[in-house]
Amino acid sequence: MSMRKVAVVGAGMTKFVRRAQETPKELSWQASRMALQSCELTMDDIEAVCLGTAPDAFDGVHMNGEYLSDGAGAWRKPYMRSYVGGGTGVFVPIQGWYHVASGLFDVVLVLAEEKMSSFYPHAQAAFLTIFDHTTERALKPNLLWIFALEMNRYMTTYGISKEDIARVSVLHKHNAAKHPCALLGDADITVEDVLNSETLAWPVQRLDVSPVSDGAVAIILAAEHIAKRITDKPVWIEGVGWSLDTAYWTNRDLVYPRYVEYAARQAYEMAGITEPRKQIHIAEPYDPFDYKALHHLEGLQLAERGKAVELYISGAAALDGDMPVCPSGGLLGVGNPIAAAGLMKIAELFWQLRGEAGDRQVAGAPRRGVAQAWGDLMQVGTVVIMGR
Amino acid sequence: MILLERNPQAPRAWLGNLPVTSRYTFGLGGERFFRAIKDEGKILGTHCPKCERTYVPATIYCERCLGKLDEWVDVGSTGAVHTYTLLYENYDGSPREEPEIIAFVSMGDGGIVHRLGEIDPEEVEIGLEVEVVFKPKSERQGSILDIVHFRPVA
Repeated sequence: MSMRKVAVVGAGMTKFVRRAQETPKELSWQASRMALQSCELTMDDIEAVCLGTAPDAFDGVHMNGEYLSDGAGAWRKPYMRSYVGGGTGVFVPIQGWYHVASGLFDVVLVLAEEKMSSFYPHAQAAFLTIFDHTTERALKPNLLWIFALEMNRYMTTYGISKEDIARVSVLHKHNAAKHPCALLGDADITVEDVLNSETLAWPVQRLDVSPVSDGAVAIILAAEHIAKRITDKPVWIEGVGWSLDTAYWTNRDLVYPRYVEYAARQAYEMAGITEPRKQIHIAEPYDPFDYKALHHLEGLQLAERGKAVELYISGAAALDGDMPVCPSGGLLGVGNPIAAAGLMKIAELFWQLRGEAGDRQVAGAPRRGVAQAWGDLMQVGTVVIMGR
Repeated sequence: MILLERNPQAPRAWLGNLPVTSRYTFGLGGERFFRAIKDEGKILGTHCPKCERTYVPATIYCERCLGKLDEWVDVGSTGAVHTYTLLYENYDGSPREEPEIIAFVSMGDGGIVHRLGEIDPEEVEIGLEVEVVFKPKSERQGSILDIVHFRPVA
């Protein structure tokens, strides 16, 4: 298979906030414009636009992709929205990647937006209707209790304490305190704070969970010959992968995310990575809940099963550790405007690999990183490997 | 069989719903656009000097070049009927004796979709010059319904 090399050449993001005054279109425009300005391109240079946004219910506009199109810069251009639930933010750059790798387009704008505050009274209610109307909805399930069930199974299987899982939330919120766009950065938060926070659905407590947020992120992708003209620091998309597990809870392994493993293996093979723990220098696993970062690190083959928490206990996951995890601050710290949160991880790798991450720059001039998201009916894994 | 008659052969079913309530913000552009309607009885557009377009309703960015727009202009109170339709049924499907007239009124390089009033349906035609009729200032709430309708220019 002959595919062209594709680089990320620019990135921009809005602040992630609890409730934005901007409309979803305006958030999209702000991020798109910042991404263009970051690499001194104009819309005349953009040949196609890829959009990611999660359920229409959040922005409160049916056919939200079409609604957002003018803020996304789609006017008179090839344009398509992709959607794999929470996995969207790391899938939409994959969509952009194949637009360029295929040779169809040389320069593509990739945008992800979410305005969850529109959903009233709380965005969680948007999830009441994603479950099977015959077997599950009558019990009024929401994502918090679904993940509480999974977290309990994970921690019990491996004998991991809630104290140790809380370290994830603490580290990510510490990192987010250094991110200028973060909603819940907190340099002083402790494990005790997490353990003392309100219990929502045991074992999930308030500070185990990422916040509902509004925001948008955009990146610019370019083919190799163009990328080298735009910047002397292109960051290459070296591998991509995605995989879907069964939609049935009862048929899925709750302890180990096979869907992440399969997506990661696809991406690693494309990138020529045989020993991810040595060849990956930064990890941005999807962390809407603290245990989920651990779950996903194991699926990404960056830790043995049940052992990801040791990266946090040993300090390896810290900004100056051997395997920095979520240097951005992740969803737990920067915020979780669903699709935008995934693309935020791609933007973070872009800034980290160029040495432009400011106070949260990881040590040791990293050469390669992995970003991952997860979603759909809790069963899709999306993975992107980026390197310089 | 009429639409709502029960079909004895139909599979057993029960009712559910997708309960969605949204609270929308005006946005940065909408805030200024609707304040001008509410407080001043004016319709504002924004002009993109690069693309030579005036957007109505006003937006804070140009959809063509994604440039930031800060040239706000009062586009006046009149426009031409670009196209129109006559609604002979109500929202619930019941018939109307007099049709409701919905028109797209050109203003700037965009325009406003609204009702036409104070005119006989037979007299409406494409190209007709119409003017905006606002509610009294004390009743305006910052809504597109602060415009009662457009009517023929006297």
